[in-house]
Formats: sequence, structure tokens, C-alpha cells
Amino acid sequence: MIEFRQVSKRFGQVHALRQVSFTAPDGCVLGLLGVNGAGKSTALNLMTGYYPPTEGEILIDGMDIQAKPRACKRRIGYLPEQPPLYDELTVREYLRFVSELREVSARDVRRHVENVVDLCGLKPVIDRRLGKLSKGYRQRAGIAQALCGDPPTLILDEPTVGLDPRQIVGIRDLIGELGKSHTIVFSTHLLHEVQQLCSRAIILHEGHIVWDGSLRDSESEAPMILHAVIQAADHGIVQAFYELECVLRVQTMPSADETLTECVLTCSRSTEERPQAQVFRLLAERNAPIISLTEEADSLETIFLRVTTGKEAEQ
Amino acid sequence: MTAVWRKELRSYFLTPVAWVYMGVFLALSSLFFYIQILTKRSSELLTFISLISYLWMLLTPVLTMRLLAEERSRRTDQLLFTSPVSAASITLGKFLAAVTVLLATVVLTLTYVLVIGLYGRVYPGEMLTGYLGLILQGCAFVAIDLLISALVRTPVVAAVAAFGVNLALWMMDLFAETAPPWLGKILSFLSLYERTEPFMMGQLSFAGIFYDLSVAFIALILTVYALDRRRWKQGG
Repeated sequence: MIEFRQVSKRFGQVHALRQVSFTAPDGCVLGLLGVNGAGKSTALNLMTGYYPPTEGEILIDGMDIQAKPRACKRRIGYLPEQPPLYDELTVREYLRFVSELREVSARDVRRHVENVVDLCGLKPVIDRRLGKLSKGYRQRAGIAQALCGDPPTLILDEPTVGLDPRQIVGIRDLIGELGKSHTIVFSTHLLHEVQQLCSRAIILHEGHIVWDGSLRDSESEAPMILHAVIQAADHGIVQAFYELECVLRVQTMPSADETLTECVLTCSRSTEERPQAQVFRLLAERNAPIISLTEEADSLETIFLRVTTGKEAEQ
Repeated sequence: MTAVWRKELRSYFLTPVAWVYMGVFLALSSLFFYIQILTKRSSELLTFISLISYLWMLLTPVLTMRLLAEERSRRTDQLLFTSPVSAASITLGKFLAAVTVLLATVVLTLTYVLVIGLYGRVYPGEMLTGYLGLILQGCAFVAIDLLISALVRTPVVAAVAAFGVNLALWMMDLFAETAPPWLGKILSFLSLYERTEPFMMGQLSFAGIFYDLSVAFIALILTVYALDRRRWKQGG
């Protein structure tokens, strides 16, 4: 578990993070989002103990990283934005070195390296020099070094940046696989990547957390947005919608076809019957055929744009 | 520490660094041997050792330039400093790796001693004090140049700066001769070459041993401080 308590980081006059607090519980895959310069890499470097916070506390499994750096660092594997590879070493030599650095006992190093190589699909290149590897394999070697020493938490800084589409799919699959057995915190500016891999996301903007929420619908308490197109020029329908138990707000949209009515319904998820079923029943009773009824998720993209552009507009 | 030491030794011999260092050292020391021993038909081993000790000034930057500066420029320092290992262990591991290459080079120079021994006479006491002075001075140079590698961002700058500092240390002797007496005394007291002089005359100098070890120790402490401070101050 990683916990940030009112953490700030200043580089000279520049505030990279301001009073940031959050918790990444065990087993969670947490995505850190933000535009360039939002403070993502700073947050990751702080939680790995690369540098200390200016203010606040960072706890790894309940231990303060400043007070017990070695114990905390044993629990964390880190892939920085640029994989920290020594080009002159082979994959095997490199992973052996990192394993020794992470205090894997001498007699276990060989087996440990083989396990990590298997997990990360590095077997075909195990005796190749790191400097001769493709970018995809270099990234895999970077993830492999983060796994050395069996840390329960992995911190990955933009793990798919600069890769071709096939390599991206490979690395995402690997992260998905690792997410089953590790707590993972990773930063990215690719929103769909977070939606695909993470159970939770935090959006950072100018050093602040501007959004922190779950990405699993079952856990979400956000209202459901339904987009309905009905074959009826019936303005009384708006009033009828309001009589439904689930409907919180109705907004009619201008339609090019006069025979159609388009509306956006904001519905509560807490009613016993699903909002779609209630809407369907009502329209059937009023003999108003449904042309389409779709749920518009408040997508991460919408949230991201709202929270980041909103802040910019305020300033 | 041993992990860093092993890795650095491997890197030395997988890249041309150790080969260039040892090759140039042996080529130049062979030249000295030819001029000082063979052409003069002399068996003065200490004069020869004293001559090759000047090669530390020239060649130690080759050995130390990439040790810390390259970690910074390649950003591999993020791996080291996020692993459960202290800055002191990293510094010591790297220092000992450079010293190991230095010692291996010194061992190769025993060939010259063998040649002198075959055709002349070698006094073991002289030889041991001479080599002790040579090695201790080498260690002091490695520590000083390692500190410089910790202070700069690129290996080339580290090499040039280290060479400049080594040259300045050597020139301290020259300054000491021309400076006012009080300053001259201080400069010659601080001079690495002046402190090694007794060894090159076959005298076991405890002051010299203490001085070389102190210089190395202080430079290593400052290196650890520089590494920690950099991360604290600007975050790498």
C-alpha cells in the first residue's frame, strides 16, 4: 500500500506537487494521468524514494520512506520513463546485477533471473547486449528489472511511450498480467490505456489532484447519462420523464427531423429498476417508438478535459 | 556494494575503458623503462616507479570519468538510488572497482621488476615501499577523480575536469617553490607528490600512508555527500 499525506515537492521556486494526498491500497492498479508537467513523474520519483518530499509524508506499507528507506525500497520495483539500462551488459548480466542489488540471495539469483525472463518474454534475447535490443525489448528489460527482488508494488512511468502498436499491446498485456499479483501505479497520458488497465485513476494538474475516482461502473456512484431519440413530437414527454423515479434531469436537444425528439436524461443508479427499463416502459405506454436509447458514460476523456481545461480557464 | 563492484568491473572490461587504460599505461611505462633502465643500463627500480607514478595524473580520469557522470547522463542512477542500497555503498563499490583495475595494472608492471631482477639487483624492501607509495597515490587520485565524476553530468567533462585537477595538484609542487615561504610550506604539505617522495626513496612513511588514505577517505565522503545533496536539492 502506498499512502501520500499532504505531500509537496518544490524544485527551487517551482512547485511540482502541492499538498497531494491519496492512497493506493494493495492489489489496486492505479493510473496517474495528467498533461506534460502535471507532476506525474515527480509523484513517482517521490514514492520510489529517488528524492525526498519538501513537505508531507509518504508511507509504503505503513512505513515512512524517509525513516526506513531500505525497507521501503525493497517493496518497490520501479521502471522510470527512460529504462535504466547498461548497454554494454547482456540481459542476463543486467538482471543478475539488479537482483544482487535488490538483495536476492546468491544461490537464488540464477533461478530468479530465469523466472523474470520467462515472465517478461525475454528468453529469445537473454544473451544479447541491451544496447542492441529493439525498443520493445528494452522496455521489457526495464519492466523485468523492476520485478527483480519480487517487490509487491510496481511503479511504471509511461511504460508504453515511444513503442509501436504491436509492442504497446504486448506491454499492456504484460501489465494486465502483473496487475493480478502486484499493486501497480503507472503514469501515462493515454486515457484509453488507463481505462483498459486501471481500477482507479488520479488526474494531476499543475501539481494538484483534480480528480480521483474509480473506473469500475459497479463502484461508481456517478449518475447515468441516457441519450434517447424518440419518434414523437410530443413536448409533454419531458414532463412525463420527470415522473419517473430515476430521472434527475431532462435536457431536450434540437433535432433536424421534426418527427423526432432527442433528449439527454440524467438518471440516478440507485433505483431498484434500471433507468433504461423505466424509460422503455414509459415510452411504450405513451406509444412513442424508441429509435435509439444509449448510455453515455461520463468517460475519462470527458472528465479529463473538464478538470484540466476548467483549471486552466480559472487561471 | 559487491554487486556494484562486480558490475563495474564487468563494464570496464566489456567496454574499451580498462583495455585502453592498461594498454596506454603499459606502453608509456615501457617507454620509461627503455629510457630510464635499458638505455642507461641501470637497475634503479625506485626511479622507475617514481616516473610511472606520474601516469596516474594522466590516466586516472579515463578510469573514473564514466563511473558516476555516466549514470547521471544515462539516467541509470534512478535504478541505483531506488534500490535498497546506500550512496556510500554505491560510491565504495565504484571506487573499489577502479582500484581493482589499477591494481591489476600495477601487477603487470612486475614484469619490469622481473627483467631488472634477471640482469641486476632488486632490493625487496625498496620494491615494496616503492609499490606501496605508487598504489596509495593511485588510490588517492581515483578517489579525487571519482568525486569529480559525481559533480558533473557527462563523462567527457568529468575526464577533462579531473585531468585539470590532477594537473593542478602536480603543479602545487611548482607553486610551492616560487610562492612565499608560508604558502610554500602549506602547498608542499598538501602535495600528493611531495607526500609520496619518501616512498620513492625507499622509506616507509607513515605520514605518507596516513595522508594518502585521508585524501581518499575525504574525497569519498564528499562524493557520497555530493550524490545525496544533488537528489535532495534538484531531484537528479
